[in-house]
Amino acid sequence: MALRARLLLPLIILAGCETLPRDAFRLSESALATREMQTREYASMSDTEILSASTAVLQDLGYAIDEVEEPLGVLSASKRADATSGIKAVGSLAMDGVKCIFSFLRACDGKNYSKLDDVQDIRLTLISRPQLDNEENVVVRITIQRVIWDKKGRLSVQQTVTDSSVYESFFDKMSKAVFLEQEGV
Amino acid sequence: MRIFAGTLYMVFLSACASNNAAITESGSQVQVRQIQTRTYDTLDKRDTLRSVLATLQDLGFVIDKADYELATISATKLQDYQIRMTVTVRERGGERLDVRANARFNESTVEDPLAYQDFFAVLDKAMFLTLHNVD
Repeated sequence: MALRARLLLPLIILAGCETLPRDAFRLSESALATREMQTREYASMSDTEILSASTAVLQDLGYAIDEVEEPLGVLSASKRADATSGIKAVGSLAMDGVKCIFSFLRACDGKNYSKLDDVQDIRLTLISRPQLDNEENVVVRITIQRVIWDKKGRLSVQQTVTDSSVYESFFDKMSKAVFLEQEGV
Repeated sequence: MRIFAGTLYMVFLSACASNNAAITESGSQVQVRQIQTRTYDTLDKRDTLRSVLATLQDLGFVIDKADYELATISATKLQDYQIRMTVTVRERGGERLDVRANARFNESTVEDPLAYQDFFAVLDKAMFLTLHNVD
């Protein structure tokens, strides 16, 4: 027993203190591809015009602006949104129902349903800067993160959004806003 | 057996930190500053801050606060873990700028010099590209 305790203690202490992953401050192999996915160039626009168009897009999408620093071209915004999925909800309810019936009403805790994603907090940063080798163009890069909470308010997922379709969809809207900005609409 | 289990639980709880000690932390301030600081031969505050922003975005951070006047940027990275970071830029005589970065990983301060070396290695590249106007 004593020996087992001696072996267990360091493990428990280590488990109590999570360690920083070695790659936390290193560029991943996909960093370049990710940068391309998150970046667009706009010709003949100033930083300020881009920031103004970006603010309009974010408002279109229901975001609140948390931080703007014009001299650095920084814009951060966030919103809380629904994270539920209809199909998953139906599936979980069905599983809970089956479990409840087969346990003769002893396991009707709705556990599957309570683990479902409920709401998500989305945060994004947009940074615009003049293109380094051609100051007439502006380079815009966005990064998006989200935290998803389950039905019981527990943390479900926290992640950086890497789905390229999200960025494409955002930049589509951005292009329209830039057009409107240039036309003065 | 019950005492043993109780002791294990106490050890588990006390393994990382105590309440008040976390407010001021311990350790050498000078050493911490050395680990967290890198000096660059430039006086261009804006380009340096832009390089910091590019580095943070490359590493997957979202910017919480950015202030050009005070040359301070705070950012958060969310993965299976959370890292919060503040980077400041200060003039240091002789046409040089000091960039200082401090990071928190979940509930603890990042003290590993290698982590800061990694961060500054990425920043070095961004600084080089920015100062030489290469995109």
